[in-house]
Amino acid sequence: MSEAGVIHDIGYQRYDGPRLGRFAMQQALYVHGLRAAYGLGRSAKAKIFPWLVFGIMLLVAVIVAAVRSTIGEVIFTYTQFADQMSFLIIFFVAIVAPQLVSRDLRSGTLPLYFSRPLRAADYVAAKFAALASAIWLLLGVPQFIMFLGAAFTTKTGFKGVWNEVLDLVPGWGYSLLWAVMFAGIGLLIASFTGKQAFAAGGIVAVFLMTAPIVGVLASLPSTTANSLAGLASPMTLIAGINQWISGDEGTGLDLGRFGPVYAIEAVCLIASCLLLLLARYRKVASL
Amino acid sequence: MSTVAFITARGLFGRRRALLLLPLPILLVGLALLCRMYDVSPDMWGQAVIVALGLAVVLPVVALIVGTGVLGSEVDDGTIVHILTKPLARRDIILAKYAVAASVTTVVSAVPLFLTGVLAGSARLGGALAVAATVGAFAYSALFLLFSLVSRRPVLVGLVYILVWEGLLGNFVSGTKNLAIGQYVIAITDKIAPNGMMDTPVSLTTAIVMSAIFTVAGTVFAINRLGSFSLAGETS
Repeated sequence: MSEAGVIHDIGYQRYDGPRLGRFAMQQALYVHGLRAAYGLGRSAKAKIFPWLVFGIMLLVAVIVAAVRSTIGEVIFTYTQFADQMSFLIIFFVAIVAPQLVSRDLRSGTLPLYFSRPLRAADYVAAKFAALASAIWLLLGVPQFIMFLGAAFTTKTGFKGVWNEVLDLVPGWGYSLLWAVMFAGIGLLIASFTGKQAFAAGGIVAVFLMTAPIVGVLASLPSTTANSLAGLASPMTLIAGINQWISGDEGTGLDLGRFGPVYAIEAVCLIASCLLLLLARYRKVASL
Repeated sequence: MSTVAFITARGLFGRRRALLLLPLPILLVGLALLCRMYDVSPDMWGQAVIVALGLAVVLPVVALIVGTGVLGSEVDDGTIVHILTKPLARRDIILAKYAVAASVTTVVSAVPLFLTGVLAGSARLGGALAVAATVGAFAYSALFLLFSLVSRRPVLVGLVYILVWEGLLGNFVSGTKNLAIGQYVIAITDKIAPNGMMDTPVSLTTAIVMSAIFTVAGTVFAINRLGSFSLAGETS
């Protein structure tokens, strides 16, 4: 270390160990994002809102499970649970999405991130996966509790449990659809502003204002417009896909022959959100 | 005091930020126009556009963005220090900011609601909606201004109020409707221009009295809070 020309050697050493590379960075960002979503590793104040939402969801799930095991009446099925809780999911996205991306914009950490071998795509993928997992856990854990309630009180033995599993797995898949859709839209909106307050307001405004459009389109005097009405809002879009795949008519939508259109739009919407996010992070100015 | 109001207004509208407030009102009027062009009976779409979009989304969300924007963003940025160190009474600061928030919310929500009401029925319905939206704007602004002083995350608290208190609980537990500004707005509209699409358990007297209480109590409490305002460090 002490070569000629070095006046003071204060012991700095070069790093010779293995370099973990992009994948490890992506993984680290993902884990950090998922923890930040629930306020883990942060102060009690940061935990209030995510756990408030999670607590309400759990409470509802416990009530549903209890009612089902005592009276035998099914209040919500696994898929209806997600539909009924849509306001809370919107609120959760409005809390978490700005935490994940707006904070980075605001505090100027993005130039630091991107001065590493991390690409914009890695960053977007990690954040998207973190938010989608957080939303999925928000729905999946209460659904699992409902499953436990139903499975332990079943009267038909293992056959009953297996039937519940067959109900639960599509329910989890449905929650995944919610998670992916809401994560894409939420992150895209939040990535445009460094102010968490504006980002949260924007996310809620976008999700809430789409719902009445469906109501208006559904009242137009054209069956095509009525069948396509659900496309206008992410919530009814997801419900429409569920109806198209499972064929149950409980959602109040009238799809007609346009079921596949719903699936196509959902895929296009998620893909375009991700592409726009990539485009957004091609050039990052510190706000 | 007028300088504070001017700076606040510039903070809201400067650098094209005013454009952020436009989509919601435009959507409201646009949907009403669309239905009008297709000659759909207002009975079919009035509920969805006026109540579900206009009164339940546009008015509270605009009030939330503006009401927390006037003070909350200054607390966030730390620029509130500059105002607090000037020789101004805290009361004047709050009143100036409240005046800006309430008037901006009124303009942004009452004008499109008036247009929608005219398209949906009569000028009477439009006028009723405009009056009710003005009352609502004043009450909501006072509440959200207060939220930005009691919490470091006023928007989230405001969203809890809008989504959980007025939205979710209002559907299941009807008792909360007596303490929801949205219901007062509906009650006032329905009294001025009776129509079939609005339905609320709140009476007109309750609506007027409670709106006034929300407005005055919110402002007074906000003044009180700003009087003992302490600048905390970085948020967690």
